[in-house]
Amino acid sequence: MHNRSLEVFGKAGYFNSQLRIALRNCGIIDPGDLDDYLNVRGFEALAKVLSGIKSEAVIAEIKRSGLRGRGGAGFGTGLKWELVAREKSDQKYVICNADEGDPGAFMDRSIIEGDPFSVLEGMAIAGYAVGSDKGIVYIRAEYPLAIKRLEKAIEAARKQNLLGKDILSSGFSFDIEIRLGAGAFVCGEETALMQSIEGHRGMPRPRPPYPSASGLFCKPTLINNVETWANVPVIVVEGAEWFSSVGTEKSKGTKVFALAGKINNTGLVEVPMGTTLRHVIYDIGGGIPGSKKLKAVQTGGPSGGCIPADLIDTPIDYESLGKIGSIMGSGGMIVIDEDSCMVSIAKFFLEFTQSESCGKCTPCREGTKRMLEILTRITEGQGKEGDIEKLERLGNMIKKSSLCGLGQSAPNPVLSTIRYFRNEYEDHIKNKKCTAGACEKMLSYVINDKCIGCGACKRACPVNAISGSTKQKHLINQDLCTKCGECYKTCKFSAIDKG
Amino acid sequence: MKTPLELLTDKKNAAAERLKEKGYLSKKRVYIGMATCEIAAGSKEVMAEFEAAKKQGLDIYLSQKGCAGRCHVEPTVEVVDPEKGPVLYTKVDAKKAKEIIQKHLIGGEPLAEGEK
Ligand SMILES: Cc1cc2nc3c(=O)[nH]c(=O)nc-3n(C[C@H](O)[C@H](O)[C@H](O)COP(=O)(O)O)c2cc1C
Repeated sequence: MHNRSLEVFGKAGYFNSQLRIALRNCGIIDPGDLDDYLNVRGFEALAKVLSGIKSEAVIAEIKRSGLRGRGGAGFGTGLKWELVAREKSDQKYVICNADEGDPGAFMDRSIIEGDPFSVLEGMAIAGYAVGSDKGIVYIRAEYPLAIKRLEKAIEAARKQNLLGKDILSSGFSFDIEIRLGAGAFVCGEETALMQSIEGHRGMPRPRPPYPSASGLFCKPTLINNVETWANVPVIVVEGAEWFSSVGTEKSKGTKVFALAGKINNTGLVEVPMGTTLRHVIYDIGGGIPGSKKLKAVQTGGPSGGCIPADLIDTPIDYESLGKIGSIMGSGGMIVIDEDSCMVSIAKFFLEFTQSESCGKCTPCREGTKRMLEILTRITEGQGKEGDIEKLERLGNMIKKSSLCGLGQSAPNPVLSTIRYFRNEYEDHIKNKKCTAGACEKMLSYVINDKCIGCGACKRACPVNAISGSTKQKHLINQDLCTKCGECYKTCKFSAIDKG
Repeated sequence: MKTPLELLTDKKNAAAERLKEKGYLSKKRVYIGMATCEIAAGSKEVMAEFEAAKKQGLDIYLSQKGCAGRCHVEPTVEVVDPEKGPVLYTKVDAKKAKEIIQKHLIGGEPLAEGEK
């Protein structure tokens, strides 16, 4: 079922070391045509389990496969199914988490847009295994095309009796509805997501009780990520042995990454767990443009950390990434080159989590705000002795005491950059210098000997910080300069140095 | 009574028949990337070219596909000749689409390596 992409796209370059399980049909079939999906062994896994495999056996198979959640935390999928199956209840729910709130991540969107049926099939298999007849896809409203494709796919599957009542005359019924999210990052968190479906404000609640015991409308609920769902039919058809033969000891199968930043081949890559970061960046991603040097890789989005260049031989799996202070997360991978300032990068991610903090718990609401204030002053040249230690203390406190995963992981980008790039923080604070030249407010603009005294910069300066007579070298008064960069942009003679 | 697997096999066979009727095995198949990212890169324009050609009588099997993840070369167009296998074109715009139609689909010769 897998790796037909190779036939289409050839073995060269970008695709040669990828193994496509979750993305197996993306870019291969027409996502709007159920016939196309049936043609690539679609719904075979569902029909197989409905033809006499006991629900316990299905769960056992998923457990043996070693599949772990692809939405962030990496919880064992089979175990989660078992917990829900064990509950006795008149109603259970199966949810697909398609909120995909990480900035820069788009694997879930691509799967739904390119192969919506495999997600539906995975959910129906789980419905059978845990004893649920109702599935819900929670998808962000910013994905209109994905929503349209999903609606169409559900409709087509119903028509062919692959969803709905008495599926394939097996007596098993399962139907799927779509719920739209309004794009709040925190609504990707499972308990907030369920609050949102119920019509409440999307805020997390303490766990336990876990959704498996009391989830949507207080009923046992199974929630998995889009990519997790897309793996399920393959495991059922190809078998747990095959699936678990891919990957490392504790991380089985493949993971899709959204490769972005300073990299030649941006895009989605799916590689076996255990592949090294080096391989992904240089062999698949084609390296860094403009023969620049690699500085770090950021994985896991706003909840993840920065991995320095000397650790890029680390194999990608849940444990190894955790050990070096980052996470797998949902699969964001941002490549950072020598031109980037690590303090600004940490600040960028914290700005995101701070503004997405729902405000329910104090550590996250207040703590991220205070951390951001400190980071802001550091990047503006106002950093104080002791700021780094303050960031570390606050960060660890927020991690330990926040209510949900948002706060528990928000300090990661800051803590990991302090861990690996402490000298950059010190440079900003002590020497008021941003070596990468990325922090605008810390730059100084100086006129060099190429100046012919044309006066263009003098006219462009909004604060009259430039003086000099015509045809004479001009001078910038550093006390008045606001570092807006207008003079630099205006000068036609490269006579202004920025640094 | 048939088992779910047998019922599915019937559905599959029916689906295969429908695809064949549309020319899946007999015509050149053209797949155009139509995910959000491909559309943003301009694939609607490309699709329009092929649709227009089809309307004017070009006998092809025209279909959309999702995103294969190659953001840096989108929009992509894949032409599958049932006898010769697939050819992938990258960064296709309306002009390149016209060339593909003229040279590959009508003329029978894929564009040269450097033009793909
Ligand atoms: C702040 C926050 C945002 C999250 N966003 C997502 C998301 O967008 N998509 C997702 O699948 N899981 C997200 N999660 C993880 C979910 O809470 C949950 O663990 C996941 O849906 C379980 O599915 P899995 O076991 O298949 O990974 C988020 C968690 C947190 C704390």
